[in-house]
Amino acid sequence: MLKTVRVRNKMFKVIGKILKYRRLTQDYPRKKLDATLFIGKPVIDQDTCILCGECVRRCPSEAIVMNEEAKKVGFNYDACIFCTLCAEICPVDAITMSSQFELAEKDRTRLRASTLVIEDRNVPDQSYEVISALLKEKAQKVLGRSLAIREVDSGSCNGCDYEINALNNPFNDIERLGIYFVASPRHADMLLVTGTASRNMELALVKTYNATPDPKLVVAVGACACSGGIFRNSYATRDGIDCIVPVDVYIPGCPPRPQAILYGILKALDRI
Amino acid sequence: MTIIKLKSKLLDIFPDDIHRSTLVHSNEFYIQVDSRSIAKICSYLNGEMGYALVTLFASDERTLSGKYAIYYGFSDRENGQLIILKTEINPAVMSFQSISAKVHAASSYEREIKDLFGLVPLGHPDAKRLVFHGNWPNGIFPLRKDYDLHHKPHFSKKETKFKKILGEGVFEIPVGPVHAGIIEPGHFRFSLAGEPILNLEAQLYYVHKGIEKMAETMSVERCFYLSERISGDETFTNSFAYCQAIEKIAEVKLPARAEYTRVLFAELERLTSHLGDLAGICLDVAYGFAAFQFRMLRGWSYLMADDLCGMRFLRSVNKPGGIRIDFVAGKEKRLVEQLLKIKNELEDTVDIINRNTMFIDRVENTGILKISIANDLNAVGPAGRASGISHDVRKDFPYAAYDKLNFDSPTYLDGDVNSRMRVRIDECFTAISLMLQVIETMPPKGPVHENLPRLASHQVAFGMTEAPRGENIHWIMSGENNTIFRYKIRTPSFCNWPVLCHAVSGNIVPDFPLINKSFNLSYAGNDL
Repeated sequence: MLKTVRVRNKMFKVIGKILKYRRLTQDYPRKKLDATLFIGKPVIDQDTCILCGECVRRCPSEAIVMNEEAKKVGFNYDACIFCTLCAEICPVDAITMSSQFELAEKDRTRLRASTLVIEDRNVPDQSYEVISALLKEKAQKVLGRSLAIREVDSGSCNGCDYEINALNNPFNDIERLGIYFVASPRHADMLLVTGTASRNMELALVKTYNATPDPKLVVAVGACACSGGIFRNSYATRDGIDCIVPVDVYIPGCPPRPQAILYGILKALDRI
Repeated sequence: MTIIKLKSKLLDIFPDDIHRSTLVHSNEFYIQVDSRSIAKICSYLNGEMGYALVTLFASDERTLSGKYAIYYGFSDRENGQLIILKTEINPAVMSFQSISAKVHAASSYEREIKDLFGLVPLGHPDAKRLVFHGNWPNGIFPLRKDYDLHHKPHFSKKETKFKKILGEGVFEIPVGPVHAGIIEPGHFRFSLAGEPILNLEAQLYYVHKGIEKMAETMSVERCFYLSERISGDETFTNSFAYCQAIEKIAEVKLPARAEYTRVLFAELERLTSHLGDLAGICLDVAYGFAAFQFRMLRGWSYLMADDLCGMRFLRSVNKPGGIRIDFVAGKEKRLVEQLLKIKNELEDTVDIINRNTMFIDRVENTGILKISIANDLNAVGPAGRASGISHDVRKDFPYAAYDKLNFDSPTYLDGDVNSRMRVRIDECFTAISLMLQVIETMPPKGPVHENLPRLASHQVAFGMTEAPRGENIHWIMSGENNTIFRYKIRTPSFCNWPVLCHAVSGNIVPDFPLINKSFNLSYAGNDL
């Protein structure tokens, strides 16, 4: 008798909990987020800037560049780690941290102030290059409404992975948009790749890419995957995943917050 | 035992083997010993004195002394002091006496030294590669000073060899490096007979990025940002350990408000991390309701982080010399409200899961880590405390404001998934209580950072913190012009990975994800 009462108690407690917080999910991207507290991309006021070059010298991921001819300082947002150091050290306060976090771009050059030099790409299977251009349009039609994602960590610090994990939490609930994570690349339409492509993950990344059926999309998540970030140019890393596989959308950030990743995924599908 | 007593005792027992000794930063006792007698002194410190081997690393000091140096860090946790043995290796010899047969925890460290420096541990029971997989060419030793950081070696086609378990009906299951869940990469090779696991070999280092090499010659300021990116969910605690070491070398004393603020952020990180682990444990046994409750709580703790500093992962909060800006001022009331809300919900949810017998059935007696193995391999953090090892850096080596705050470090004895979960639940409440205490007792106003002078060259210091995953030890030797000469990072995951492989044997494969989650180790923090 006592036992059944206890069981019922538990059941009521569970129901009570479920009713207590009925809906936590934010309606992003339909409703904009209040981003006032967020630390987004740094922006520079060219009129105030005195071209002293202090930020260029001290930027930990070498993401700030000076164009001597045009007398301009600019950011490579694909490499920026959003550390706020530049805003802190600028002697004339020309740099401020904005709260802009929706930064994903399809074209990496749009994230950059300086010209882009990508290492020679060495994709063993060239099928994508040939077929994919033709398939691209079809891909977006096919994948636009329901998308299966496989996440690949190719050498991140795990920050981006936790943020991708957070897409499944009650606040973001990515499945409401018809997007879900699958266990195998064979079931996936999109690879969500984090990390700088460490040398030890190169082969695994190529194999995962080849195992994903065409048409497929690749999204680079975070500064490391976009450009190598702070881990660029080491004996054990490659400078971003586009040295290895073709990338459709780049999501800057270190790590990008879950909504920034969601924005990038939807951008890859042309739903934004 | 005090340093003076220990010194005279060691001189009594090993009169000819000890060259000189120095005490640095009040609790780091460096003893230079003869390289031929290292094994007997180590086994004395570890076996007779009971000091745990907490770090072991080499440093290329050919530019300073013409030799390589190897440091053996032992921790006298009862008295809060570190005993560091230093030996020098002549570049003409390129080998050193292995201590792994006597001090088992040394095994991975010595293999790491062999891969990164090319110093060969003589007499190591299993000196196979650790950091580099089969395809890395021979003769690549990145941590030697004359190796160019940017040189990317060409890979050969050799494969990594795994331990073979032979016998009738024995088979292997290879898993990874790309896993089914959203986690980091690692390869697991299970050998089984039927369902139970006979042996698990973990091939890690898929996310090896060469952090220690990159840190060398970096400026102190720049290396700080690197330290924040060692392991994403331990951002604050790693940067904290880095800052501690730098501040010790610079000999600055931090303003009290900075010390308290650091405790607040460190505990917020612990709370966030543990709530995520609890959600993971519940999810891995398909207990959806509880998993989403814990995820909700974790979401709330991220909201607190956003409210405090605008960074969910607490990046750019610390800085060598203190805290970047006063993040807490004016937000105390909101913080307390939010903490009490999390505390109440957590109490309710824990009460519910405790009454779920089906759930408790899964976690009890699963993945038992024996205390003997935990002791032997220096299991740290919640994993160690769940197997009866009561060590906690916050208690043994009090740092920041921890000695002024009131808290317990929970210990359980069963060593199973349940115990590890209990430790985490208790630590969530402790973290909340510590944060509330900080808000109550921290000095109301005042500066939050101190300007750092330029560092003197070739000075050494340890930075130690209790990360959410356990004892976190960083060692720094400063270089010329305010740079880093050598940065050795030993995160708790490095200690606990070998331990995990022991905890799973005898369990069934479907329980592996659960056991793995109950340890929740960082691959990035291990691989560097």
